[in-house]
Amino acid sequence: MTTTAAEKRSALAPLGKPFAAVGGVLSIVAAMLPWVTFPLNDGNWPDKSTLSFFDAPFALTGFRWHMLVLGVLVLVAAFAPTPSKGRVVRALGWGVLSVAAINGIYLVVKGGGFGAITAYKDVVAFGSIAGVVAGVLVILAGYGIGIEPPGNWRIKLSTPVAYLVLLVSFGAVLYAVSAMLTTGGVGAGNPYAGAIFLSFLGFAGGLLAALNGIGYTKWISHLSEEHRVFSVIVLLACALLLPFTDAGNEYWMTVAANIGIYAATAIGLNIVVGLAGLLDLGYVAFMGIGALVAANFSGAAAANFGIDLPFPVAAVIAAVVAGIFGAIVGSPTLRVRGDYLAIVTLAFGEIFTRSAQNNIGGMTNGSNAIPGVPQLSLFGTEFNKQLTLGSVKLPAGVLYYVLIVLLVAATMTVFANLKFSRIGRAWIAIREDEDAARAMGIRTGKMKILAFLIGAMLAGLAGAVFAHKNGTVSYESFKFLESITLLAAVILGGMGSIPGAVLGAALLFVLPEKLRDFEDYRLMIFGLALVLIMRFRPQGLIPDAHRRAELADENVDGTHVDELPKEAKA
Amino acid sequence: MRKHLVKSAAIVGATLLVVAACGTNDKTEAGGTGGSCDTSKGTLTVGVVAPLSGNLSALGIGIKQSAELAVDEANKKCTVKGYKLQVSAQDDEANPAKGAQAATKLSTDPNVVGVVGTLNSSVAQTVQPILRDKKIPQVSPANTNPSLTRGNDFLTAPKRQFDNYFRVCATDDLQGPFAANYMVEKAGKKKIAIITDGKTYGKGLADEFAKQVAKKGGTIVGTETVGEKDTDFSGVVSKIKGLAPEAVYYGGEYPAAGPLSKQMKDNGLNVPLMGGDGIYDQKFIDLGGKEGDLATSVGAPTESLETAKAFVTAYKEKFGKEDFAAYGAFSYDAANAIIGGLAKTVEGGEWGDAKRDAMLTNVGAYSGSGATGEVKFDQYGDSTNKVLTVYQVTGTKWDDVQTGEYTG
Amino acid sequence: MSVLLQQLANGVVQGALIALIALGYTMVYGIIQLINFAHGEVFMVSSYGGLATFTLLPDDLKKSPAVALPLMFLGGILVAVVVAVVMERFAYRPLRNAPRLAPLITALGVSVFLQEAVRVWYPDATSNLPYPKVFPTGSLALGPISVPWTGVLLVVLSVGLSILLQTYINRSRMGRAMRATAQDPDTAKLMGINPDRVIVLTFVFGAVLAGVAGVMFGGYLNNINIDMGFQNGIFAFTAAVLGGVGSIRGAVIGAFIIGLIKTLAGQYMPGGTQYDYVWIFVVLILVLVFRPQGLFGEPERVRA
Repeated sequence: MTTTAAEKRSALAPLGKPFAAVGGVLSIVAAMLPWVTFPLNDGNWPDKSTLSFFDAPFALTGFRWHMLVLGVLVLVAAFAPTPSKGRVVRALGWGVLSVAAINGIYLVVKGGGFGAITAYKDVVAFGSIAGVVAGVLVILAGYGIGIEPPGNWRIKLSTPVAYLVLLVSFGAVLYAVSAMLTTGGVGAGNPYAGAIFLSFLGFAGGLLAALNGIGYTKWISHLSEEHRVFSVIVLLACALLLPFTDAGNEYWMTVAANIGIYAATAIGLNIVVGLAGLLDLGYVAFMGIGALVAANFSGAAAANFGIDLPFPVAAVIAAVVAGIFGAIVGSPTLRVRGDYLAIVTLAFGEIFTRSAQNNIGGMTNGSNAIPGVPQLSLFGTEFNKQLTLGSVKLPAGVLYYVLIVLLVAATMTVFANLKFSRIGRAWIAIREDEDAARAMGIRTGKMKILAFLIGAMLAGLAGAVFAHKNGTVSYESFKFLESITLLAAVILGGMGSIPGAVLGAALLFVLPEKLRDFEDYRLMIFGLALVLIMRFRPQGLIPDAHRRAELADENVDGTHVDELPKEAKA
Repeated sequence: MRKHLVKSAAIVGATLLVVAACGTNDKTEAGGTGGSCDTSKGTLTVGVVAPLSGNLSALGIGIKQSAELAVDEANKKCTVKGYKLQVSAQDDEANPAKGAQAATKLSTDPNVVGVVGTLNSSVAQTVQPILRDKKIPQVSPANTNPSLTRGNDFLTAPKRQFDNYFRVCATDDLQGPFAANYMVEKAGKKKIAIITDGKTYGKGLADEFAKQVAKKGGTIVGTETVGEKDTDFSGVVSKIKGLAPEAVYYGGEYPAAGPLSKQMKDNGLNVPLMGGDGIYDQKFIDLGGKEGDLATSVGAPTESLETAKAFVTAYKEKFGKEDFAAYGAFSYDAANAIIGGLAKTVEGGEWGDAKRDAMLTNVGAYSGSGATGEVKFDQYGDSTNKVLTVYQVTGTKWDDVQTGEYTG
Repeated sequence: MSVLLQQLANGVVQGALIALIALGYTMVYGIIQLINFAHGEVFMVSSYGGLATFTLLPDDLKKSPAVALPLMFLGGILVAVVVAVVMERFAYRPLRNAPRLAPLITALGVSVFLQEAVRVWYPDATSNLPYPKVFPTGSLALGPISVPWTGVLLVVLSVGLSILLQTYINRSRMGRAMRATAQDPDTAKLMGINPDRVIVLTFVFGAVLAGVAGVMFGGYLNNINIDMGFQNGIFAFTAAVLGGVGSIRGAVIGAFIIGLIKTLAGQYMPGGTQYDYVWIFVVLILVLVFRPQGLFGEPERVRA
């Protein structure tokens, strides 16, 4: 490892800055060159890509504007005093490369051949090729300058200034999220939305990795650790402010509400899997049970109990019933361990789907589902309707969004409190070594059943909201694949980590929505992603601090996990 | 280091190599679609909500492509004056929650004039209210559950559920009883066993079938359910064989029905298997459907309908093969109902939110002859085309044996 | 009575198929304690491999079963082995020392990936595909019951191959190495056994059996689909657990029990065929709770 690193330096070191200069300039040039030789058949490729800069100066928008920004940043980073310069330059290089490559590939595929991005009928358009070359050069330049650990800022701030910095940073995150959601257009119109979004991700990923290289993200995370309460409040405020941004439209409110429901469920699963280390492959059944109970008490025409309970009461009953089932499903844990337990839970999940499909006890309506579950309403306003606050018109579905943000916040609080309590420590002890935990006096059986019970209650609660939000409860929403998706959310975010499950659920829902162009490959990519995450980043995107420490120890060359190269981010 | 240089050299080399082989699919000069029509007022979108990924994608893709064919033809014929049409197909993953997202995505676009879909009745339940709030007509090619249009008491107290929801396919309460009449009265089979796949379509159909059989004096000797993913039906077959039925009615689709029919024969239960339009497919016979098996399907036989033949030819020309699946022709008709309604709505005017009411009325009043026969809607939004045909497997293809209207 | 006999026969044929798949689960689990969830998909892929082989044959060979049939088995087995070896090398081997949940989740990922890959890339695999009619037709009639010849062949192959496998593992040098690795990998390594080779070989054996099962499945039921792996994989896994994971004999007997439960529960239990799966899972849960080591397993095999 050390020898190759040294070799790398010796051969590339003299080339570092020159490569960065050439690459940076080349990406600026690439931004100005035309990118495609003719307007594509589904309509003009976005942002006047057939034009060169000199035909229409300052008409740079979209991905070409991103290329320009990245190019300028490369030059600045390479020639200004920057902490961890090589790492920053390399990250920007990956950004340049991904933007150029994604757009280039898309143009070639949609344009029917390389004629689209080279020369065709006296028209030349070498923008994407120049961009790709620039990207490769800048990445090499990064290696030439040398990859050092990310910068470590030790700036101490007075509390008001720290608050301001946090406020601005989280505000920027809100802006970035909104921009990401709206990029490529919102409606059904834009035929290129998928490519535009991917290209934007490349740009944003490059910038983020560069910020990480400078040490900014680490600094912010330290700051927010110091001012935990303030950060939580600001984050919650940011989440509640999303409806006021560009992304505040009915569509994203619906998607965000669904994300929230699954995130709340995933947090429940995180208790079972992440904290107690009990793999549950049939978890979505608890959400289904909660949804069915709530639907039956909702006063829907197809409900099977003639009782119309107010939502909070129905939700509590749903949670309790799901919790009871959770305890029942969890009871084999007294005797069954590890992989075998996973199979028991899978069996329970399958039994649930099968029974619900067959209308067991006349409570699920079988394949006819329970339609027409009424929308929630507050002071006469149905939650799925538009809301006008003074002069501000809020999109339809905003009330669901708010309700679900609060639900997620509440489940996160429950999770955090449990995690740092006696019970949470007992769970972690069981996860690490059950026999040792028992030897230390932990009543492992009781604790494991408790994990199942609490996890299932959270899922049941989320299911109750799900029933009203979607208006229909059908066994088809609670199949094996949904359990796997929830599990994937937990793993992707980081097992045992509090924000992890939310981030995981968000990614697993937002990406398919934004990448509808590639829907045929959705599940295939999903499967591949599970394999790759387990291989390259088993601790997840936001690893739990405990887990991070454990996994860092296991690294062969002794580098801390944080200091490993993060190509995957670009 | 060396590795990096080699890698980058390889990348650059490969790029140069492929760049040498240039080519495009530039259609701007070839005339392209809709080149001769006036499309000065812009582009309007026909949405499609169907499962485009996962194991129902064969049906969903058939729906999507058939809608695309209808839109293409409309663009060529300048059906909608001043506008170009396009299809925006959204995947619902056969999941009600995802269907809601897809529908919301379409409904927030002011240029979406109507939606073709969904495949699953449970998805339709979440999509209906979302589209209704925006007054977007939804025409389903495949939802057969009668309660979607007429409410839970569809036989005794029908009540229109959603004024934006229409369908071009026949509901279970027509197809099931029609099949039962044929089975009991024409074929003279009194002892019938029922097998379903437990899903909305199959179970609904079988339930309506069973009611009518009882009414006509036949007996249902047993009802069994096979798993959605089941393939070995020998257990079920042996079980119903013990009940000695004279015929078997299967509520479900051809992927299970074909093998089931074959396994019935292999296990010595050589009685006809009957099903609904879900098994009326050439693949049913390829997968083991045997001589004498029966199926009902909506509309008059394809051979007697010029429009149906034209659809098949045009589809094959556009997509290269006949993979429009079970609901392709319905989807084509559904899209044409939306296009027809739109043409009338924007005639001499501009599309806008103010036109949405007129659009609903015009789709409701649409009438035309499509690939499945006459397309027209009744006061509940159901198809008025109540002509059904019974087909029978003869040799390696389906032959029509009876065409008529279900009258009770 | 004749119904009971017929259902018993059906159960035995279903059990024979499950047994072939269950052996792959049980061997892999015995050696590296991994629930190879994707093994069901190896079985599915092999079925498509057999079909593809047939499609690629020249027309005159398609007509002679004596040539086409062995080639289909060969093609199916080859595809299964390649998939299994690639899977072991790139998905499981890097995780051999990872926390125990990691390989299981990887296996789920591989399973989803394989299913989707076939659906997207195999022509027309979005729906069931008919299997070529090169298998013997007709049925064996034994008094009141009848079993298709393909079903008989399936039972013969299943029992024959498992006896062969059992003998190989008990008698051969490599078999001894496998048993040693299963008992104590570290000591086995010290004795000069290459664990990587043993593990790959285990996957290969499992894949060969799954390959035979895949092609026979197509021949017996005349059609294949992408879901067949998941469903039968779960049954096979249940069978392996029922028999005691790691035990060859246990897996085969467990598989026959599962086959019989499915057909008999569908016939005689309340709820009939609607709930036949539920009974399989109920039995699975009961076995795991009250006899976690399975019918023929050794108690210490159960680890956390």
